[in-house]
Amino acid sequence: MLGKLIKHELNATGRIFLPLYIIILILSLVNRVLTTIKILDGPLNVLRGFTITAYTLSIIATLVVTFVIMILRFYKNLMSDEGYLMFTLPAKPSQLISAKLIVSSLWNIASIIVVACSLLVMLGTSKNMGILREFIDMALTGMKASFGSSYVLLIVEFIIMMIVSLIQQVMLIYVSIAIGHLFNGHKVIGSFVSYIAISTIIQILVTIILLIWARIAGSSLDDLEAIPQLVFPFSIIFSLICNILFYLGTNYIFKKKLNLE
Amino acid sequence: MSVILDCKSLTKKFGSTTALSDLSLSLERGRIIGLLGPNGSGKTTLIKIINGLLVPNEGSITIAGMEPGVESKKIISFLPERTYLPEWMKISDAISFFKDFYEDFEEKRAYDMLHRLNLDPAKRLKTLSKGTKEKVQLILVMSRRADLYCLDEPIGGVDPAARDYILNTIITNYDENATVILSTHLIADIENVLDEVIFIKEGRLVLHAPVDEIREKEGKSIDSLFREVFKC
Repeated sequence: MLGKLIKHELNATGRIFLPLYIIILILSLVNRVLTTIKILDGPLNVLRGFTITAYTLSIIATLVVTFVIMILRFYKNLMSDEGYLMFTLPAKPSQLISAKLIVSSLWNIASIIVVACSLLVMLGTSKNMGILREFIDMALTGMKASFGSSYVLLIVEFIIMMIVSLIQQVMLIYVSIAIGHLFNGHKVIGSFVSYIAISTIIQILVTIILLIWARIAGSSLDDLEAIPQLVFPFSIIFSLICNILFYLGTNYIFKKKLNLE
Repeated sequence: MSVILDCKSLTKKFGSTTALSDLSLSLERGRIIGLLGPNGSGKTTLIKIINGLLVPNEGSITIAGMEPGVESKKIISFLPERTYLPEWMKISDAISFFKDFYEDFEEKRAYDMLHRLNLDPAKRLKTLSKGTKEKVQLILVMSRRADLYCLDEPIGGVDPAARDYILNTIITNYDENATVILSTHLIADIENVLDEVIFIKEGRLVLHAPVDEIREKEGKSIDSLFREVFKC
């Protein structure tokens, strides 16, 4: 069932994302070609300005659309009239949430990859690639010098942290929409308020934990080794706990408190 | 005859308003049942509870012996009073969607009915009028081989000619093991197809009886009985 839900979610969202990705990649290719054409060095340079603007706008559009679609899909497909269709499918509420979460996370990652690829297409001359390689080498050497053998651990933890906090962003939006759903007649405002309230609570919690931690651990936190051993693992575990709570909260509301208009 | 729907002392409150109050009801298979009541009497609340879209505050409900959940949703075909299909879909997309999620969905029946009503499967739902969307939804819902059909206001928004076709569709498309619950306040239009009626008023069950019995005992049509019971 989860597989089918994911398939249909990809169908419903892919029709927006795929054309956008194609546009952005074509625009970056056009820009790459235009920079190499000598005729355009004169007054026709305005054409370059035009395509670069279009390209920049398409990058912004991709990032904004990714964010907006994530919210709209969840709200429209589950909380509006379409909810009558989705919640009467022979699926568990948790499967509906998981399908949305997985597909949303995938598009978030895909958007980042597409934007990165388009930058490579546009700027990836052999000279620029050399600079990039040098920069990566330098960063790696620096990390090896500072962290010794645990630099691999640091990179792995960093990637996991990125993914977990991406999921946390998505789940925070979902749980806020679900809580907003409980505010009869003020669902959208309720969602905003929930979002702000939960974010604030998390900020306060993190601050308190850090303060206590600094007190107890004292100067041992100044050691660079603390980053892979303590700071990153703590962030990951903290995010994971938030994610689990957000997921359970959303699921509880869908199971017990659903009240479609 | 086995029981398809069993409600015991169902109560549902929204804040301080009580939408359903201590409602007990038992429906058997193989019937067409009219769920009748004025606006705000609790018809939609009851239908939502049957479909697992609301959880009652008190009381219990079983569908073919099962509590509302994944298994009950497999055997209930539900038509809400809303237009619930995503607007961007083509009619054919909606058909594949139903085919994918419901094992009892019969694609061929859906296409036959679309053809009969001169609806083009390649049309996007966005381009259809409200009445046409309702027809599409009804076709989808009636193309399932479900045990229980819950139709909430299925004829409210369509013209009288289509109304006849739709009622006919409902009667001819369910098999003898299935039960159809039709919620409406357009009683005169559906009176002839009903086997039983349920009257609810302010969340309470007023009457649940076979139509023939009512006609015999009261000597009047359901429509006039309704006007009497719910007189304002």
